[in-house]
Amino acid sequence: MNAFTHKLEEIFGNKVTVLEMSGGCNNEVFIRVKEDDVEKAASMLSKADFVLIAMFCEEGFQNKGKFSIFYVFEKKSYNKILVLVRDISSNNISSVTGIFPAAFWYEREIMDGFGINFNGNPDKRRLFLHEWYQNEFHPLLKSFKNRKIENIGPRKIEFKKEMEENTGNDYEFKEMKGDGVYQIPVGPIHAGIIEPGHFRFSVIGEVIYNLEIRMFYKHRGIEKFAEEKKAEDAIAIAESISGDESVANSTAFCTAVEKIYMADVPKRALHLRTILLELERIYSHLGDLAGMIIDVGFPAGASQFFILREEILRMNNKLTGSRFMKNILTIGGLKKEVKNDALIRANHYFNKFLGEFHKAVKVVHTTASVIDRLETTGIIRKDLIKCLNITGPAARGSGAAIDTRIDHPYGIYGKIMQAPKIRYAGDVLSRFEVKTEETIESVKMIQNLINTVPEGNVNAEYTPKDGFGLCILEAPRGQSIHWVDIKDGKIYRYKIRTASFCNWQAIEHAVLGNIVPDFPLINKSLNLSYAGTDL
Amino acid sequence: MEAILNIFRKKPTENFMMHGKEQKETEKISIELKKHIDTIFGRSLAIREVDSGSDNSTEIELVNLTTPHYDIERFGISFVASPRHADAMIVTGAVTHNMEFALRKAYDAMPAPKLVIAVGNDACNGGIFREGYAVNNGVEEILPVDMKIPGNPPTPKEILLGLLALMKKIRHEREKGK
Repeated sequence: MNAFTHKLEEIFGNKVTVLEMSGGCNNEVFIRVKEDDVEKAASMLSKADFVLIAMFCEEGFQNKGKFSIFYVFEKKSYNKILVLVRDISSNNISSVTGIFPAAFWYEREIMDGFGINFNGNPDKRRLFLHEWYQNEFHPLLKSFKNRKIENIGPRKIEFKKEMEENTGNDYEFKEMKGDGVYQIPVGPIHAGIIEPGHFRFSVIGEVIYNLEIRMFYKHRGIEKFAEEKKAEDAIAIAESISGDESVANSTAFCTAVEKIYMADVPKRALHLRTILLELERIYSHLGDLAGMIIDVGFPAGASQFFILREEILRMNNKLTGSRFMKNILTIGGLKKEVKNDALIRANHYFNKFLGEFHKAVKVVHTTASVIDRLETTGIIRKDLIKCLNITGPAARGSGAAIDTRIDHPYGIYGKIMQAPKIRYAGDVLSRFEVKTEETIESVKMIQNLINTVPEGNVNAEYTPKDGFGLCILEAPRGQSIHWVDIKDGKIYRYKIRTASFCNWQAIEHAVLGNIVPDFPLINKSLNLSYAGTDL
Repeated sequence: MEAILNIFRKKPTENFMMHGKEQKETEKISIELKKHIDTIFGRSLAIREVDSGSDNSTEIELVNLTTPHYDIERFGISFVASPRHADAMIVTGAVTHNMEFALRKAYDAMPAPKLVIAVGNDACNGGIFREGYAVNNGVEEILPVDMKIPGNPPTPKEILLGLLALMKKIRHEREKGK
């Protein structure tokens, strides 16, 4: 803590006065500065190489009826997470988008949820509330109790024209004009079995000159759902954020709550959780690898990855009783024991798995037409990574050594993680290679963990407490952040920021200069979750 | 040379173990399903999938139906790109307000007679998102649903069983109609 105070003095000098500073329960440091100083503080943090990794709002954090905005910062080589708390007195506040471009979506999100205006954010369009919602509707305000809203949506309005007349705020896409420029609208429903989202391409011939994405078609109101619930009941909600990241999200939620409760999770439970987290990474990566190969039109190569994924899903079922490992985690550990003989069988299976996996990867690497499509496609420039807070394999494919498991170790990762797998080209092939290497690494990690898993309880006793906490962890897609505030034994605010929320913004940059047929490939290589973004 | 040898080599997919109890069961269900599809649809059932706000695990299971372990295209079921080609629509998710319009448009684009299948707990009755501000309580509130396949998410086998039940229901109704 002292070292950090020193560091802050170094960054802020005498230009910004820190009013208050306190340590959090999970390695975070909360600071408050004078309200006018927030922008100055942000720009100084930006100069000192801090990255804005999350930004959210809460009503009544410490004073009832007042809003607080939290800016969460991370810096490479600092193990602490810095949270700048901004208590605001009016609904018109200054924006930090000029300093941290990553704030664009966050500020629009807060605008929708709480009705707070950010002066200086050039994009005033609504984000997760589409045109069906009333203008004055802000679901995350405490004055709104979660309930079904009647008379919303197009049930009686059959055509778009009438819809516009009824709500009067149709969404305007940024348009590119000029000779030969035309727009391709795609979605929200796509050709394959994929989640919904809208893409607006501006193209000349086949080359993409601009892409604007519109998400949040799947907005289910998850954050509001968690409110007023007991922590144990909200685990199912955390698991539904994104089906193929259910372990990562529920682990993050449980860890945040455990830190608040100061519960001591048994060693065996931590071990088993790590095994499940890595299993999830394996099947998620396998799905991506298969998807990338499918999207270049090479189903024979892809089917091998699909076969392996199905085998892993079946193994998940044997280990936990659910193919997606749902309903196994709980606060304080695991709901039920994972049997040792099932683990040993899994260990045996993985020996075979590695052989088959290497063969499958070799098929791809020795097929020139596939490599030709993957190479130099969809390049993410390294300088975008900090601006947009790109994380996960997408960042590691562009030469950034970012991995939350190493930078901010949680669970038992501090002991078992080595250097992150990195590629430098930033194209689809790099991401393909990063994912293959991570899959192999995860398999080896699981095998080691199975061999060393300690005996004992998988469940700890705990006493519920009030408090707030932050948990960040590395999901298969990248860094996830969960903020939990518990008041009177119930969840008061639950904020989720999945990796996809940030990584989606990278795709608008990655596709520029590529041809339209390569878009699905680039999309797949980033493996973005629509559900995890839309919440 | 390498290419010529490929003709004689074992196919990569042949290396994988694809037998066992589970495999036989799904195979049996699929074959039965095919018999029904042959009589009702003249050998092919075209399905359009629309995600109206599920977590993505249901989509993964639906994609899994087309992968080698299940490969339902062998039995006449294909997932098609356009609702205009579809006999049935699989809807997942509790139907968010943001997706309602698109879902209705897709449904309207389907040629009649058309079937709607709700897959997953949330599609069946809203699941854990029931009575929330952003969703409807399941597909039923928006479209007429012919079959519900519950589960969080339903396994590929359960989806196949659900489709089988739908086929039986259609045949039963037809016979009653005569």
